[in-house]
Amino acid sequence: MKKDRKASVGNKGDLTQGSPKRQSRRQFLVKTGGILAAGAFGAVPLRGWAADPINIGALYPTTGSMAQIGVGCVSAAKLAIEMINEAGGIKSLGGAKLNLIVSDVQSDTTVTRTETDRLITGNKLSAIHGCFASALTLIASEVCERAKVPIITGSSSDQLNKGRNYTFTPFARASQFAKAQLQMAKLVGDKPKVAVIFENTAFGTSTSNGLKELAPGEGVEIVMFEPYSAGFTDASPLINKVKASGANALFSVSYLNDLILIVRTVKQVGLNVAINGGSGGFVIPDFYKNVGKLAEGLQGVAHWNHDMSDDAQKVNAEYKKRTGEFLFEYAGGLVAQTFMLADALERAASADPQKVRDALSTLDVSKGYAAMAPGGKVKFGPDGKNVYGHPVGVQWQNADLASVFPDEDKRAPLMKT
Amino acid sequence: MWETLAQAVINGLLIGGIYALVSIGVTLIFGVVKIVNFAQGEFVMIGMYISFFLANQFGIDPIVSLVVSMPVLFVIGVLIQHFLIRRVLGPNDMPQIFLTFALSLLLLNLALMLFTANYRTVHTSYSDEAFHIGGLYIPVAKLIAFVVAMGLSGALWVFLHTTDLGKAMRAASQNPDVAMLMGINPNRVFCVALGVALALAGAAGSLLMPFYSAYPFVGQTFVLMAFVAVVLGTLGNVIGALVASLMMGVAESLGIQFVGADSGLIVVFAMLLLTLAFKPTGLGGGRAR
Repeated sequence: MKKDRKASVGNKGDLTQGSPKRQSRRQFLVKTGGILAAGAFGAVPLRGWAADPINIGALYPTTGSMAQIGVGCVSAAKLAIEMINEAGGIKSLGGAKLNLIVSDVQSDTTVTRTETDRLITGNKLSAIHGCFASALTLIASEVCERAKVPIITGSSSDQLNKGRNYTFTPFARASQFAKAQLQMAKLVGDKPKVAVIFENTAFGTSTSNGLKELAPGEGVEIVMFEPYSAGFTDASPLINKVKASGANALFSVSYLNDLILIVRTVKQVGLNVAINGGSGGFVIPDFYKNVGKLAEGLQGVAHWNHDMSDDAQKVNAEYKKRTGEFLFEYAGGLVAQTFMLADALERAASADPQKVRDALSTLDVSKGYAAMAPGGKVKFGPDGKNVYGHPVGVQWQNADLASVFPDEDKRAPLMKT
Repeated sequence: MWETLAQAVINGLLIGGIYALVSIGVTLIFGVVKIVNFAQGEFVMIGMYISFFLANQFGIDPIVSLVVSMPVLFVIGVLIQHFLIRRVLGPNDMPQIFLTFALSLLLLNLALMLFTANYRTVHTSYSDEAFHIGGLYIPVAKLIAFVVAMGLSGALWVFLHTTDLGKAMRAASQNPDVAMLMGINPNRVFCVALGVALALAGAAGSLLMPFYSAYPFVGQTFVLMAFVAVVLGTLGNVIGALVASLMMGVAESLGIQFVGADSGLIVVFAMLLLTLAFKPTGLGGGRAR
């Protein structure tokens, strides 16, 4: 009883007096134990460098007229980074994780210049990827060249391979797209008679001139070559002309809205021509959403497609789970690009942009996610061009894009329309 | 040869019907309220988005959604007249020009913000169908749009010529001072004119939806043609605007067919210049009707 009371009374005193002692003892144990443990297991944080994540810059138009594609690119970039980090990061750098720093270039060339500058000066970057649209990428590439930070891009402009040392283009170039389109026309019939209609803009004129120049060499006859004013209200008179030309294939160098009108009008007229819609807006899920069943059988060209390899299909499945749509050309290529950067970082064993650039220039892959390109091989030439790069011919089949050309990349037979 | 020509004329007439709905609205506002509505194209755009969302959310056919888009735009028209245009009516034209131009910019950018720049299409069972007669074809969706557009234009003519309100509108357009002396309330008449004009723009939007994509800039494509038609058919002349729109549709189509696919508008503007040179008041004979 007495003892109990004493104990209970003295409780307070015991606590106030005893606790500093106990705490210091605990602290002592924690400290010594910690140091002992650190010594025993060689705790990584003490060395300082491996915990630093490797910064990768991403320049995409996530607002403005190209926002939809830009947002898709960012989701794909994040997916790729997660895949690399979950697989253990960059092993030669002690498992360092990749860190994506996204910057919105707002579909605008001026903003692209300032954002690229800001991204490079404000962060310690190892490399950059961007910007989807060639017009934007050209500017970002200029800034990167000056800052000596490597940039890897899926943009197709041949300009990107001229006089540049830090710019890498693992996919087909614009000049190769025209050739592939012409070769695809020969799949449709032995004597392809092609009608080329193009919007009278820089994009339309340069692309169609490329087609015109290469056609004789490919044995393709162009029976109609006609510019039209972009953003017309009615495609009927134009399609009337195509009908009169006797063409059996139609190449339309157009943006989405005009192309939708053209495709619908061809159907209404009951004209039997194989339509090739080229690249860009034609090979994204939105095109099928707008055109619906009429898109079935339509052909195009792309620098990447989600059915090309098992790896591509795996990434596609994951992307589809996250966004509900298939992994489109540019975003898919972007996943491959991120793995190419990881490969370069691994071999460089350094986050220094100059060393990453040197490692990229000697990249040579033929398997894994980094090799997800038509042909399945990536190796950069002195101009930063993938020496194995070529486009893949695609066709809308059952609400999906199937690779149908060339034979080495073919995953489905060409559907005759 | 005649087949190509006939087809070109058919194509032109069909699209001309849509131009007519837009230009009648512009000419009606000019005739009655004496202002140029630069935002008319944006109201076509609003009509298209109304039809798009009704079709997308509730599966309502765009043609049927006329019964929604027209009243909604009528009310918008009345509100715009009552709260905005009424305040800038006066001897000076500049505030009116700035007002409708600002309205156009505002609506356009609002649409960009709310709906993004993406193209939206509605796919109906008749969107891709066409009647084939001999070697000619007539797209069903455009034929429906043309017939409804002509019906609405006819209804407007009947309204202007047989009802008291219509007659009051014509009176106000011919001589506003005398009309006021006769006991016509100008603001009420102006409100109705704006309402009717915007309802026509809304109708044009709904009728376009089965075969054209909606996007924020869509109105700009149509409003240019509408302005040419309004000048060609004499400012303020409803019948003139209708006839001129159909003519322009045909001229554009023939231009694309026989001059070049990027020269359709050249023929249209050559027609405008020639008309202005020889008949400066327009084909309507300079009378607002």
